[in-house]
Amino acid sequence: MDKDNGKNEEQPQEEQSGASSLVQKIQQLGQTNIPQSPDSNVHVLSVIGQVEGHIQLPPQNKTTKYEHLLPQLIAIEQNPKIEGLILLLNTVGGDVEAGLALSEMIASLSKPTVSIVLGGGHSIGVPIAVAADYSFIAPTATMTIHPIRLTGLVIGVPQTFEYLDKMQDRVIQFVVSHSNIKEEKFKDLMFAKGNLTRDIGTNVVGTDAVEYGLIDGVGGVKEALQKVNELINTTKTDQEVIQ
Amino acid sequence: MILYTPLSASEIFPVEEEKFQHRHCVSYQGKMIYVEDNQDGTYQVLQLLSSDPQDFLNDGFSPGTILK
Repeated sequence: MDKDNGKNEEQPQEEQSGASSLVQKIQQLGQTNIPQSPDSNVHVLSVIGQVEGHIQLPPQNKTTKYEHLLPQLIAIEQNPKIEGLILLLNTVGGDVEAGLALSEMIASLSKPTVSIVLGGGHSIGVPIAVAADYSFIAPTATMTIHPIRLTGLVIGVPQTFEYLDKMQDRVIQFVVSHSNIKEEKFKDLMFAKGNLTRDIGTNVVGTDAVEYGLIDGVGGVKEALQKVNELINTTKTDQEVIQ
Repeated sequence: MILYTPLSASEIFPVEEEKFQHRHCVSYQGKMIYVEDNQDGTYQVLQLLSSDPQDFLNDGFSPGTILK
């Protein structure tokens, strides 16, 4: 403590403003400073909370708005300084169309992409996670696979059913074509009974997701960074060969 | 009180329109940020909308910062 006080006296002005902003931050959101580091060529997109689509959710919800992420993905594709992308996923799911839009955008990026599922990548988080070139899941993370559903008033039940069925097929097709899971297995997990309290489906834990072929590997930040750098190097050498 | 219902919480307890109006997505120093209007001429940063991890190391954009 004494040492810190000594430092404060040496640089009174700077320390004071630093201290007051620190106090402000602690008061506001309980967050302190984060360490500085040099520039990186890998950008990070976080998909946190609910994936917000056509309907604006109440302010108390933590949401990822797809209209914010889509332009960022375009910018990442365009910017030559950015060589790779890491996707951080901790989502409960959300709007199916918004999730599919994000997934398609990520899958169609030319730059190497690696996703990490931390905590949870539920529901529509599954296609977003598999959309990356390589996907990781933390050993404790889970992914809930369940059929898509609708809340609110339904008009025209047979037509709505048809529509939902087609939408579900789109999700299944996307996941099957972007991961190593077999369609049969994915459908089995999706329609399994007795696993979830109020729904049919399965809650797949980290290692199981890898076993089923849904996710490519168990890992975290270290593995993801290694993988993205490896992918960047391979794309660089490929380009050199073409040239 | 426990409500056993398939309805979402917002359908039972509607959110006032006013709460939405205090939140804005603005461009500040070239970065898009999501802010809340404090109604006293200041804005509080809620979220930084950037894909550059270095932007998150910038103190000015960290959540909770009050902008004047």
